[in-house]
Amino acid sequence: MAAVTRARRPPLGRSLLRLFTVQGSWNYERLQGIGVGVAEEPLLRDLRAAGNGAVYRAAVARGAHFFNAHPYLCGLAVGAAARAEHEGATPEQIERLRSALCGPLGSLGDRLVWAGWLPVTSGLALIGVALGLGMDAVLGFLIVYNVGHVALRWWALRAGWAHGVRVAAALHQPLLQRAAAWSGPAMALAIGAALPLSTAYLAAPFPAWARGVLLGAAALGCAILWWWRGRLTGLRYGLGLLAVAALAGWIWR
Amino acid sequence: MTLELQLFLLVWGTLVGLDLVSVPQMMIARPIVAGPVAGAILGDLTTGLQLGVLFELFQYDVMPMGAARYPEYGPATVAAVSTAHLAAGTLGLGLGALVGLVTGMLGGVSIYVVRRATQHAVQAVAGRLEAGDVRLLVRVHVTAIARDALRAAVVTGAGLGLAQVVRLFLAGGLPAHGVTLLGVAAVAAAIATATAGTLRVVGRGANLRWFAAGLAGGAVLVWLR
Repeated sequence: MAAVTRARRPPLGRSLLRLFTVQGSWNYERLQGIGVGVAEEPLLRDLRAAGNGAVYRAAVARGAHFFNAHPYLCGLAVGAAARAEHEGATPEQIERLRSALCGPLGSLGDRLVWAGWLPVTSGLALIGVALGLGMDAVLGFLIVYNVGHVALRWWALRAGWAHGVRVAAALHQPLLQRAAAWSGPAMALAIGAALPLSTAYLAAPFPAWARGVLLGAAALGCAILWWWRGRLTGLRYGLGLLAVAALAGWIWR
Repeated sequence: MTLELQLFLLVWGTLVGLDLVSVPQMMIARPIVAGPVAGAILGDLTTGLQLGVLFELFQYDVMPMGAARYPEYGPATVAAVSTAHLAAGTLGLGLGALVGLVTGMLGGVSIYVVRRATQHAVQAVAGRLEAGDVRLLVRVHVTAIARDALRAAVVTGAGLGLAQVVRLFLAGGLPAHGVTLLGVAAVAAAIATATAGTLRVVGRGANLRWFAAGLAGGAVLVWLR
């Protein structure tokens, strides 16, 4: 049983900094485990300070076990597990807590960030560039995206530390739920608007006949990629189309 | 292009490659950032923005989840901008796309190789990690990040080398129609990829209506301009 100790001022800042590297040692065995263990370690130092060297080492080892979630939300598990270690939860409880968090944190993060915030902001950046904002649109994307990014990481770590083993309650935060609900429509709208504008922007140097060919090839390509989804990637389709174009151009001298 | 500029591009490509997964995931790895900065380094922002937009569209094919294998478009965009800058004009778009897509594929393979190497490194010290050896834990982590940095540098270097080869052997050999067709193919593939990738995420539910509304809004803006 771990000793019951309470950090007066947990080094959340140090843990947050390490969380920015949480996927640095991603591998096919522990996935994010090593990075999560490294990020959790500063929050466990009180255990060592209290003279519980063995408890501290056991907690650090547990922290580095298999873990997989959205990287921006790993802090929730880091904070919760560290708090549980301080409150004397059993190793089994902590392992169960970590396992239980993987799925929800992965799914929420994917919806909120990878399929929401990121495509929304990058879609807006594409629109900005296509409308002639140039580098301002790119800088705007970096700033706006990272305000949300850093805020989410910080919230996750604090919420994890505040709730400990009852961290599931934090996932029901109304703002988080609303953001997850809006991320899908916002993404669809932003990328939908970005597509025609980006096409016009990239096709501007081409003569009229080439724009017609472009629209036909894009429509055909979209249909092919949709039918063969899971088997044909955009990269392979792109390389194939470039090869066909090079051949056609060489013949058409 | 001077050696100094090539070195700047190599450093930028390495940072971009590190950002994708390892640190700090602030999205400088997105082509819409990697491309314009590479363009600015070369004093050719227009080309950087064009290739950035092109590869950002390809990027919508990728959902970077868990153990999924995917191409790496950050360093690829840096190499593509270098190619397009060397080739100049409309020719740049098609050749840039060619170099970028090949580099992106190489980047995807390299990520897999590095992850396997990190796995072996972790397995080799599993016993000491289970004993709670903190110094070793941090060392394994930092070494893995350094390994990823080296990977990103190698991928960027390979892309920049490929850019030189393509310029030497392809740039002068294509007729005018061929040049245009190559550019058209690059843009068409990017648009098709982005549309199909987005439709996969959007699905057939209510979000499809939002997507259609976005398309209509964008088309109106194009028409107004």
